Amino acid sequence: MSCARTFLQTNPEGRAYLPSRRTVEIVGHELLTESIVQLTVRDEYIAQHAQAAQFANLYSSNSLQISPRPFGVAEVHDDEVTFLFAVVGRGTEEFRDKQVGDTIDILGPLGKSFDLSEPGRYLLVGGGLGIPPIAHAAQKLSGRSDVQATALLGYRDVHFADEMLMRHCSDVRAIENEQGNVITLLDQWLAEQDGDARNLSDVHILTCGPHPMMKAVASWAFKRDVKAQMNLEERMGCGYGTCVVCITPTIHGNQKVCIEGPVFTREELGWE
Amino acid sequence: MSARETTTELQHVHFDATEPRTFRHGTVVAGVPWKSPIGTAAGTYNLDACSVYYNPAILGAVSTKGVSPVPWEGNPAPRTAETPAGTVNSVGLQNPGVDHYLEDDLPRLKAMGATVVSNVAGHSDDDFAEVVEKLAKSEADMLEINVSCPNVKSGTSVGKDPVALCTLLKRLRPLTDKPLIIKLTPNVDDVVPIARAAIENGADAVSLINTFVGMRIDTHTGRPILANVTGGVSGPAVHPMAVAMVYKIRQAFHDFPIIAMGGTFSGDDALEFLYAGANAVEVGSAALVDPAAPVRIATELDELLDSRPELADALAVGKNWIHVQD
Repeated sequence: MSCARTFLQTNPEGRAYLPSRRTVEIVGHELLTESIVQLTVRDEYIAQHAQAAQFANLYSSNSLQISPRPFGVAEVHDDEVTFLFAVVGRGTEEFRDKQVGDTIDILGPLGKSFDLSEPGRYLLVGGGLGIPPIAHAAQKLSGRSDVQATALLGYRDVHFADEMLMRHCSDVRAIENEQGNVITLLDQWLAEQDGDARNLSDVHILTCGPHPMMKAVASWAFKRDVKAQMNLEERMGCGYGTCVVCITPTIHGNQKVCIEGPVFTREELGWE
Repeated sequence: MSARETTTELQHVHFDATEPRTFRHGTVVAGVPWKSPIGTAAGTYNLDACSVYYNPAILGAVSTKGVSPVPWEGNPAPRTAETPAGTVNSVGLQNPGVDHYLEDDLPRLKAMGATVVSNVAGHSDDDFAEVVEKLAKSEADMLEINVSCPNVKSGTSVGKDPVALCTLLKRLRPLTDKPLIIKLTPNVDDVVPIARAAIENGADAVSLINTFVGMRIDTHTGRPILANVTGGVSGPAVHPMAVAMVYKIRQAFHDFPIIAMGGTFSGDDALEFLYAGANAVEVGSAALVDPAAPVRIATELDELLDSRPELADALAVGKNWIHVQD
């Protein structure tokens, strides 16, 4: 489908229609670890429009597995979009077994992005398979003179995304479970700050990872009055806001993670 | 491989829903003209989420998510689990309430030119009556009474009991002149007595099926996947059961309008419902895995009806396949 043609149409409310589910070509496929896959597809629309923390639905070609698999965009180059994901079930096993030249169905970009509009110090805090959107945030922030970005990454063991982060961020710090976690890295970073830098009012935490990790990061940020944006993960039905399955409690009531998130501020979630 | 087996493999190839289109073949449901026999099924169409992908006015109708007298928060997450060729959902009818619907979604949909079926949710006869009374004065084209949700307290009790349904309809019928559709549950031994209760007590149409009660258990933990333990099964997995129930009601009642839904993923699936006797078909689960699926399916069905003029002509005047056979 040609995206250029798509944009010629507008809906009755005057906005352009978005391209729906489509079939795209796989242009890169690599096993980073035994169970973590790096998959790159050619999709001009997502490449042009995806913001940090936005995600795309990938679909199985097996009609027994109809539900989307939502993955955060990790990196974009020209018209190519890269995802990282763990093999956890039949759907992701199928994606693992794909090859360059195969096709896959996709919908996106989806969801609300991190707010990167303010200048200041950005702490990009990612854990495990929560690192891909953090990598994309690093890519979006790279080259900005008003921003200083530090990536703090927590892994169970293999540092599968360090290389990707280092392409976009000059200060990448990683830790694995045996040595500590991202809170260890946050404490170390804070200890290095001196003078005016101990005033944290210009610090923005962007985080994505396992739920307990993000709760701990939120608590760390709350105690120091640091702004924090949390990229949540929830079991999704449609991924684009229609089925009301992937809700999370917020101060505004239950909200949809796929369209009202996946990014929420610490205050919106009421996490302290 | 037969045509039926290939349809799901071909479903997403080279289809652009953003192209303007109109359909050659429409239908009439309880006196209301639909521009296509295809509509969206309640609970799967959210205006903000879907109208960025296609214009809802081109479809036969848009059935909107059930609205209750006051906002409902719905059930806790997780609310969905996958099952072969389907999903198990337990949303619990989270919705912002009828007042919000009347101020926001409904006027916007009508301004776009959509034919709107407003789905009504409630925990009690009083709830249903309160919402119907408010919608009676609105621009809604048809009202669909959801007496068949498996995921809310007392959700299906009316839908399983002909006497209770009779009582509810006697209460609702005087409140509105708009066509009243009763949405039926498949979780009964025999759907015909429920349909009869609807027909004999003033309903204008029935829609079926709502979801089947089901559950999935995480075999790593031994615990149910859904927070609500059970949910409603939908998707291609339930399609044959839905076709059988539509067929059974059509055999019992030749003239009564039927809106069919249940795992329609292609124009051919929709055609199957029309041959079972439905007047119209709504798309639900397919839209959850492709926002533009209702438009694609309507386009496919339009082409299939080109070569079936007897069926197309019957639908266009509010009749159905059984009248062609008579």
